[in-house]
Amino acid sequence: MAHVVLKDLVKTYGSFKAVNNVSLTVNDGEFVALVGPSGCGKTTTLNLVAGLIPITSGDIVIGDRVVNDLDPKDRDIAMVFQNYALYPQKSVYKNLAFPLQMRRLPKEEIDRKVREAARVLDMTELLERKPRELSGGQQQRVALGRALVRDPSVFLMDEPLSNLDAKLRVQMRSEIKRFHQDLKATIIYVTHDQLEAVTMADRMAVMNGGYLQQYDSPAQVFAHPVNMFVASFVGSPAMSLVPLEASTANGKSVLTSAEGWSLELSPHNAQKVAKAKTRKIVLGARHSTIKLHKSAVPGSIPAKAYTVEPTGDVTFVQAFLSGALVNISMPPTIAVAPDEQIWLEFDQERMHLFDGETEMALKAH
Amino acid sequence: MSAIAGTASRGQARRRRIDGWRWSGRIFLVFILLYTALPMIWMLITSIKSGFAAMQFPPQWWPDQPTLASYQKLLDPQNSVGQDFLRFFWNSLFVSTATTILSVIVAVPAAYAFSRFTFPGRNFLFFAVLLRNMFPAVIFLVPLFILMRAIGLVNTHGSLILTYLTFGLPLAIWLLKGFYDNIPVQLEQAARIDGATRFQAFVLIVMPLSAPGIIATAIYSFIGAWNEYIYAYTFLSKNEQLTLPVGIQRFFSENTTDFPGLMAASFMMSVPVVVLFLVLQRYFVRALTEGAVKH
Repeated sequence: MAHVVLKDLVKTYGSFKAVNNVSLTVNDGEFVALVGPSGCGKTTTLNLVAGLIPITSGDIVIGDRVVNDLDPKDRDIAMVFQNYALYPQKSVYKNLAFPLQMRRLPKEEIDRKVREAARVLDMTELLERKPRELSGGQQQRVALGRALVRDPSVFLMDEPLSNLDAKLRVQMRSEIKRFHQDLKATIIYVTHDQLEAVTMADRMAVMNGGYLQQYDSPAQVFAHPVNMFVASFVGSPAMSLVPLEASTANGKSVLTSAEGWSLELSPHNAQKVAKAKTRKIVLGARHSTIKLHKSAVPGSIPAKAYTVEPTGDVTFVQAFLSGALVNISMPPTIAVAPDEQIWLEFDQERMHLFDGETEMALKAH
Repeated sequence: MSAIAGTASRGQARRRRIDGWRWSGRIFLVFILLYTALPMIWMLITSIKSGFAAMQFPPQWWPDQPTLASYQKLLDPQNSVGQDFLRFFWNSLFVSTATTILSVIVAVPAAYAFSRFTFPGRNFLFFAVLLRNMFPAVIFLVPLFILMRAIGLVNTHGSLILTYLTFGLPLAIWLLKGFYDNIPVQLEQAARIDGATRFQAFVLIVMPLSAPGIIATAIYSFIGAWNEYIYAYTFLSKNEQLTLPVGIQRFFSENTTDFPGLMAASFMMSVPVVVLFLVLQRYFVRALTEGAVKH
């Protein structure tokens, strides 16, 4: 296994910058997820690491080697593709053997390694089958096996679960996590599904528009998103973002809405707002940090319920607030009907505040 | 009751209508079959008649005295007719095989390049390749003859091979490109990561997958070259170089037409094509449908 370093990585297509000065370090044995919406440059970044497309500028280091100009075959990597990319004309056995044959290993050793990988992934009985005779989950497992059999220094995975149905995806998610724990493998995993990144990765790199937005542990990214994009991208349902205006009333710092109401800020939050260079402030709150009341309580804000979605454990309510749709979760014991008048109370401790112009998170110091 | 009866009769009516279509379809197919098969059958029957029987009217539907004399004559290297026929056959085989091999050698990498790489002028080149097919082949007869004379290829098989490539390659490239477009690029990427060079990935992974397309391309080139008449007639004048379509024509012109001999020669000329097709038709059909439809 080896660590991977990306330094000021840039990839341009004509005037379009697909990857913009991305720098990050993946430690030996670490599971890193590259996550972002489609077109954010995550797959391009992975392909750059794999060597499938040439880099425009920057450096890629795998282990102790700068691999910028090396062919994919010389980078000592293995890759799992979204569509698995199993060789359709070859049996499972030959699919697994192919990377070893390319390395000119002796026949007996190939056989031993293939059977070992098949045993680990519990697919010994599938070895003689052709890929098209396998289910999606089995194909996925073969793809993993083909990566595993090589014992590479880095595993690259490009949305390996997105072609599976929902149930199988959850199951394979834990299998890949298990695979990582058992092998202590260095894994770079691309996904558009923030939930996969949060559940599986040691660290997640959130990308948007070719830029790396935030690179930290899922817990940190969840708790301290650096900007509005990360805040709204990570977490489900998404964090609600309400555009407001900062002002003072009776010597206290408040956020006021065009709708007429205002929200008094805690001293800590007031400090953050004081640092902002603009009066435009965006309030961010996750569904679980907003409390729903059926009658006015001190510090609560009036709103109107828009949709009500019971899921069993919790009921999600959406409400319009200052023109933004706000997600609230509440126990199913409270009954709320659409269009009903409700009052919302924000948890000041777990509230996020963003600069309305730069979209960056506001900090107290 | 009446409602149910009404539905039932309407259902029957619908079924009858479908049957009507199906039957007219069958009749049409039978017609096409007769249209294509009868001349072949008549060719075969005539080829085993004696010269006298072939000219009789009303015709003998089945010869009184079937004979293989025409075939023996054509395949006998001792007499001059047999020598000519075998030489023409060999010439045709050489020209067609060379055309086929060269066509595959050129079309496979060309189609792959068109499918996988972006390079300046890619679209222009691709449509330029197809442009040739807009015109009937005979339009190019005189220009190509002048060209061949200028480069000294008149009266060589090379002139024919080059010409047939000109006509065969566009469709071959186009057909194969459709194939490569449908092979996910990730397969090659996987192979390259698994330790193959770009070339190895192509040869070991992509080529086998495009085998039906390559086979179809090969059949298409072979048949085109095998059957071609007008260019062979124009470019070659020496007897020992003629290909079968031109050579067979000699059976017409010398003295009286030897119809059984002509038919026997025609039949033997169609044998390689039919055999090739029967053996490989499965790939041919797959290639034409997959390249066009599958995504």
